[in-house]
Amino acid sequence: MRGMRIRFTGALMSVAVASATLWLTATPIAGQAPAGFPAYKAAVRTADGKPDLSGIWEAMTSANWDILAHSAQPGPHPQIMGAWGAGRGGQSIVEGNEIPYQPWAKAKQQENLKNRMVVKVAADPSRFDTGDRELQCYRPGVPRANYMPYPFQIFQTPEEIVMVYEYKGALRSIYMNATDEAPGDTWMGWSNGKWDGDTLVIDVNGFNGNTWLDRAGNFHSDALHVVERWTPISPYHIRYEATLDDPKVYTRPWKMSFPLYKHVEANAQLVEFNCVPFVEEMMYDPIGLYRSQPRQAK
Amino acid sequence: MRTRTLVQCGAVTLGIIGVLTVAPAGVAAQTRAEIADAARKASPRTAEEAATFFEAEVARKTAAAIARVYDPTRPPTPVKKTPWGHPDLRGYWLSLSYTPLERPAEFADKALLTPQEAIEFFKKAVVEDAAVDPATVHYDWKEFGMDTWQSPVRPNRRSGLIIDPANGKLPPLSPEGQRRRAAAQAAGKGVDPQTAVSTLNNFYTRCITGNQGPPRLPFNHDSESQIFQTPNYVLLITQSNNDVRIIPLDGRPHVPQEVRPWLGDSRGRWEGNTLVVETTNFHPDRLWRGATGNMNLIERFTRVDDNTISYQITVSDPAQWAQPWTAEIPWPRIEPPLFEFACHEQNYGVINVVTGAQIRATEGKPAARDGDN
Repeated sequence: MRGMRIRFTGALMSVAVASATLWLTATPIAGQAPAGFPAYKAAVRTADGKPDLSGIWEAMTSANWDILAHSAQPGPHPQIMGAWGAGRGGQSIVEGNEIPYQPWAKAKQQENLKNRMVVKVAADPSRFDTGDRELQCYRPGVPRANYMPYPFQIFQTPEEIVMVYEYKGALRSIYMNATDEAPGDTWMGWSNGKWDGDTLVIDVNGFNGNTWLDRAGNFHSDALHVVERWTPISPYHIRYEATLDDPKVYTRPWKMSFPLYKHVEANAQLVEFNCVPFVEEMMYDPIGLYRSQPRQAK
Repeated sequence: MRTRTLVQCGAVTLGIIGVLTVAPAGVAAQTRAEIADAARKASPRTAEEAATFFEAEVARKTAAAIARVYDPTRPPTPVKKTPWGHPDLRGYWLSLSYTPLERPAEFADKALLTPQEAIEFFKKAVVEDAAVDPATVHYDWKEFGMDTWQSPVRPNRRSGLIIDPANGKLPPLSPEGQRRRAAAQAAGKGVDPQTAVSTLNNFYTRCITGNQGPPRLPFNHDSESQIFQTPNYVLLITQSNNDVRIIPLDGRPHVPQEVRPWLGDSRGRWEGNTLVVETTNFHPDRLWRGATGNMNLIERFTRVDDNTISYQITVSDPAQWAQPWTAEIPWPRIEPPLFEFACHEQNYGVINVVTGAQIRATEGKPAARDGDN
């Protein structure tokens, strides 16, 4: 692949490949970067000549509050959380600042927003009819894991790339040049990867439909299909793009993008964020299980 | 063995079985026996019929295993290397064994069994494990192919996993360990910790960690794991809870002592063909087998042949044990992949465990035995 000339088409164009699998034809020329980014030819490479994406990365956006453009906002409990609980304003990471929801889905997003702090804990699947899953320390799904305000680490080999997210220690294994189908529906999806020139392309499906895209109630279903493109644009930056297709929820595929920044501190390492103990009181106290409160005999 | 397994898996995918904890012999024993009898009468199959159903599979599995007795005295075969020249530990490995942690009394003077003795011990354990009690069959892992004997578990010439102290037993508690245990027992007297999530001291049931330590002792389900290597890191990924340990190999110092991850802070180095990992800075609430957050763990991973890793642990914590102790567990190789283990997301088990404990407390019944994770 090294030195291979690939042409960047400018606007991304989606094509349905034989099995209706969506792959994108974004093909940057070596020496050119995706639109709006400086030209860069990855200098740091692995033994097999691929760009080396190893390292600790983090998005620098407020998209976890809302992937669309949004003002700063007070937190849900300003009476005790003050500025600590407030959310930053921020620009959209979504192309065109619009998610092409089907009409019912737009209404559902509004309802989600209203109910985003609802916590439902039940010993049956109704527990997933609830507010934002991040509140309960559930796995964030893809692409959300990549723009949460936590770093994550990429470990790269030719056969498999592993991504470990500081938030909850959420894990993705990306099987390179594989076409295996997801063995079941999951929170983080099933990832098959391949190199397109200097871009790592990951096809992700097999989602369970339980994750949201942000705290603003933007969502998808279990039909979500994500194609991610990871392109190094400097030794310290990756341009991340994701195309989301979900015929149950959207009217067409749509795209988000943002840069990832590399942690270069000498002592950088993921510091475990195991949030389960942080949410137990919130989840189990309302149903009488957090503190010992033996029931009265009837 | 069966009952212990049921206690421990409360948190996981078969969460509904979490309430089937086992009361100590005594007050509740009669009731439990009555319930089991009723279930056996209602079962469409007798124990004998059920055993027949699995007979051929047991024979096949046993035959395959006895050809692969683990012999710690055998010198390792030449080591495979990664493309960058490190010993190659990559792949998927299983931490399961029928060999008990402490050497049983019957082998008090025999640390190493003959291969034939190892096979006899193994066969007995498999038959016992594969037995089907119709009272529990609907909660039995073997219906899903997940019993230990259905895995690539192997006989072991060691009679117990502990190799130091030389008597094969856990060392005695240190004076501080005795004091801490007495204080904990006094504080918990009369209160069943399982009646509230906040006091439930099984962090696996709460999905805070999986059931695979560190260190990893081979007494649990979901014992599959992956070792993933790059030139600069080793990742240890366990099926249980998808716990991931990131182990840098660059010689950097441990994080400052203020940082206390549940899985500790690990640093690795190569010593010949062995990966040596030192883990410190454990979370103070973790209390692994009663140890404090200052427990020091040394793990040694050696690929002794294509299909086996020798996993050796040395655990020390003067606040718990009078001396360090060492155990060796052979890990057979298994097929990929691992699967997502979203434990907390659907932790029905903890609801049932705590609700059950509250009902027992209300009715004046004794507390259930806790799992020993």
